[in-house]
Amino acid sequence: MTSALETTDLGKRYGRDWGLRGCSLRVPVGSVAALVGPNGAGKSTLLHLAVGLLKPDEGEVRVFGKAPGDSRELLEQVGFVAQDTPLYPDFTVAELVKLGSKLNRTWDDDLAVDRLGKLDIPLDRKAGRLSGGQRAQVALVLAIAKRPRLLLLDEPVAALDPLARREFMQALMGIVADQGTTVLHSSHLLGDVERTCDWLVVVRKGSAQVVGSVDELLAEHRTLIGPRTREGEYSGVGTVLRESHTDKQTTLLVRTGGPIHHPAWNVSDVTLEDLVLAYLADPNAAALPGPVSLPQRGVGA
Amino acid sequence: MIWLTWRQHRKQMLAALIGLAVLLAVLIPTGLKMHHAFTDMGTERCLNGLGDGSLVGAGKVSECQSVVDRFQRAYGDYGRAALLLIFVPLLAGLFWGAPLVAREIESGTHRLVWTQGVTRARWGAVKIAAITVAALLFAIGYAALVSWWMGPLNRTGTSRLEFLSFDVQGIAPIGYTLFAVALGIFAGTVTRKVMPAMAMTLVGFVVLRIPLAVLGRPNFQGAKDLKYPVVSDTAPNIGNGNWVISDGVYDRAGSLLAGDTQAVCWPPPDSPDADGCYGAGAYNLVSYQPGDRFWPFQYLETGVYVLLAAGLLYLAIRRLQRQMT
Repeated sequence: MTSALETTDLGKRYGRDWGLRGCSLRVPVGSVAALVGPNGAGKSTLLHLAVGLLKPDEGEVRVFGKAPGDSRELLEQVGFVAQDTPLYPDFTVAELVKLGSKLNRTWDDDLAVDRLGKLDIPLDRKAGRLSGGQRAQVALVLAIAKRPRLLLLDEPVAALDPLARREFMQALMGIVADQGTTVLHSSHLLGDVERTCDWLVVVRKGSAQVVGSVDELLAEHRTLIGPRTREGEYSGVGTVLRESHTDKQTTLLVRTGGPIHHPAWNVSDVTLEDLVLAYLADPNAAALPGPVSLPQRGVGA
Repeated sequence: MIWLTWRQHRKQMLAALIGLAVLLAVLIPTGLKMHHAFTDMGTERCLNGLGDGSLVGAGKVSECQSVVDRFQRAYGDYGRAALLLIFVPLLAGLFWGAPLVAREIESGTHRLVWTQGVTRARWGAVKIAAITVAALLFAIGYAALVSWWMGPLNRTGTSRLEFLSFDVQGIAPIGYTLFAVALGIFAGTVTRKVMPAMAMTLVGFVVLRIPLAVLGRPNFQGAKDLKYPVVSDTAPNIGNGNWVISDGVYDRAGSLLAGDTQAVCWPPPDSPDADGCYGAGAYNLVSYQPGDRFWPFQYLETGVYVLLAAGLLYLAIRRLQRQMT
């Protein structure tokens, strides 16, 4: 599987602090990837590095095999919806569409106008007078009408109400289905992206903690419920990510090496949310791809 | 990109056009009036009649001085009002230059425009070229207008080489304007916020302009000296626009009797000891920049500011290409 986005030991420093460090991950072509992590984990930094708004201080970032920089070809292949969806407030929607058509050779004007019509967004309305949901939709239209191969979205729905949020995600998924675009979509809430993504990247404190296919991750992780067991006395269950105990029983979230046959444990599937929360709660746990081209560093498994 | 530049800056162009129109509406009628008076009062004819010599007949000078004084009483205030024009180039730096990059970053729209299919280098080059050319055109119009307007004032008391007078006419305002705009753009790439960029532009402009004008300009070329006796039938020509750097009256032995002044006893008194004639052998010593150095000085100063502007724009583009968020 070729990568739309790949980073190796990527680091970006802000003054003396590292916003991102030792971050290695990949997003395969054709996937819809969720970039999840708490606020300040480095999600925006990673996306800004991927789109060339920032330059790395160490390591490297590759988009379709090339380093983002001042390259027109690469800029045309990447659509970016920035956080808070910035638009020129004194431009009308029609003028924003014109901006897109003037600045992108690959621009699809029919697609833009058609989508805005379906969304009932008046073309003569100034961007500064649009609702938050409409702004986000317009920003998305601007990003997709250039027909990018990779679409990067930086918490576009963070400021939206639940209805607008759902509409935005529906619009996004419709586009992805139509165009086969690779998507990397950041959020500090897994709920926003859980139902739609097939690839997961979890970042925490500036480096990638979990990278992989959602199906594989779900297959590898299990919840085990069994009789009260003392800490450290579990064997043959794989890596324990989270444990909780009551008087009578013990609940474990584990990453398994294979099937669990121990009769004491009642084995069940995990939800993606449980999985992410377990990793975020344990800074020493990581689920990074094995024999792919990425060196592993930083937090060790 | 050109459409976007026009769309984003058309309001600034309109404001500048209105400003230029206001300037035209004020300067054309007053300038015509002043030029007519300069001719009708006989000021021009009298000054032209003095010729090019450094020292000319004291009687003629005295006669012309009274005509010049009459003109000054009528139009001296115009010259003082013209000092306001010194701020025009700074306005271009504050309102065109400083927001160019700073406003995009401050409002976050750089994340929109720098991720379209146009490189940042091209975005910067088109924007900077457009604003610089517009500023150049406005500055040429403004400088030509003010140069014409100042014509009579330059010959009636204030040499056009003098501070503030030099600064609003000729080609120097074009240099100041380009420098102010370039400084504003560069400041925007440093501060990334509009108000601090404006503040940096203001400070940078003033900090360079004042010392260069006050300390540098009088020394662009060595001043010339003119020595002439107090009691004489000749006096310095007031028609050739010399810029007096320093002057004083000295006695025969060369000691200073009175600083910052010149004395001419005319018509010749009965005795050199008469009131105000400082005694026998007293002379005036004047250090001055000749009026015909106006254009060489203008070229020099304009050249300095144009080079500075080019350097700042180069740095601004480099900062844009490198990490800028």
